[in-house]
Amino acid sequence: MSMNFPREGTLRRIIAFVAVIGIGVATYITIADSGGGAPACLAGGGGCETVAESSYSHIAGVNIAIFGIFGYILLLISAFFANDAARFGGFAVALGGFGFSVYLTYLEIFKIEAICQWCVSSAVLMTILFLLTATRLIGYAGADGAAVPSGGAEGEAEAA
Amino acid sequence: MSNKKEREKRREERLAEEQRVDTTDRRTRLLQLGAGAVFLMIAVVVVLIVVNSSSSGSGGDTKLEEVASVEKLLNGIPSEKLVIGDPKAKVHLIEYGDLQCPICRAYSEQVLPEIIQKRVRSGEITLEFRNFIIIGADSTPAGEAAVAAGNQGRGWNYIELWYRNQGVENSGYVTDEFIESIAKGAKVPNLAKWNKERKEKSATEELEKTTKEAQNFGMNGTPSFAIEGPGTKGIELLGTGESAGRLEEAIEEAK
Repeated sequence: MSMNFPREGTLRRIIAFVAVIGIGVATYITIADSGGGAPACLAGGGGCETVAESSYSHIAGVNIAIFGIFGYILLLISAFFANDAARFGGFAVALGGFGFSVYLTYLEIFKIEAICQWCVSSAVLMTILFLLTATRLIGYAGADGAAVPSGGAEGEAEAA
Repeated sequence: MSNKKEREKRREERLAEEQRVDTTDRRTRLLQLGAGAVFLMIAVVVVLIVVNSSSSGSGGDTKLEEVASVEKLLNGIPSEKLVIGDPKAKVHLIEYGDLQCPICRAYSEQVLPEIIQKRVRSGEITLEFRNFIIIGADSTPAGEAAVAAGNQGRGWNYIELWYRNQGVENSGYVTDEFIESIAKGAKVPNLAKWNKERKEKSATEELEKTTKEAQNFGMNGTPSFAIEGPGTKGIELLGTGESAGRLEEAIEEAK
């Protein structure tokens, strides 16, 4: 069964790696938006300011990038465990994040009419994570955790 | 003996078989659950997009917001050209801004009301808006209209109301219709005069002058603030003043 799939340990390591990049991107967006960044309109640019200033950038007063940080953290955690809960949980979070990213990209293009490269990179990372976690779930759902070589410790070392 | 061994062997086989069935079941259930989640997600995204596309969100509508709150903020404050406050005030705070700039709008909504209430209304400072055209071509007719409104003492009403109703930069929302709706909302007394003056060359020249001034100061973004008072050596640049607190510090130092 697993002949056609990459080894789960490899998948988990890549998931952890991409999730860490995602945490970085989402954290940057959050900090820049909360005023720590350059709060100025520069000639030529402006896409990110427009997106950040639009009414869509917050849900119930919370910057959506914060939801992103949480999502990436959950995905990182899911990469540390080789059991079905982590496989399915990771997939569910990535699916939610991917769907949300599709919706946000739609908003950027058709509603806000401005593109923020940071938001796009987060959407790309979420798409990659969705594909990875889906591969992991399809390939290894139901597999015994202990039968899979590659310890969580290795993944952890890479993430740190 | 051999009978017992065989029994044990069979028992182990049975357990292994049970576990295999159990694992296969779990796998099937998880994959079904995953597929269900994917369909649910697709449905949610489609619904969200449909709901959103039916509500018009582009800045084209001319129903103005916050006409009353802008009126209340500025009511009773002396206003001349694009300057508000007591002309005898010793400290002069200048904002170089672009009406299309979303960060300027954020300042106008979150930072400046406190400055206007505490410092301008009390007669401590005057506050001036100078157009710094930086976002795009649409910023020019917007700025000219503000200058013309200033000629009738409604400059800041125009600016503040504009920010409260600002659309997405360079999206084409700056139409004659939008510009006029702001003037009406800002209660410019003589609209015909305003309409004539905003199209005059002098309005354009005013914008060019203040933009050049900002560039000469080395400013490269909006809003940028500058201050002048007894405590400063001529005009001092404050950069982007981030919060009302920092602007207030600068005012104290300029006294």
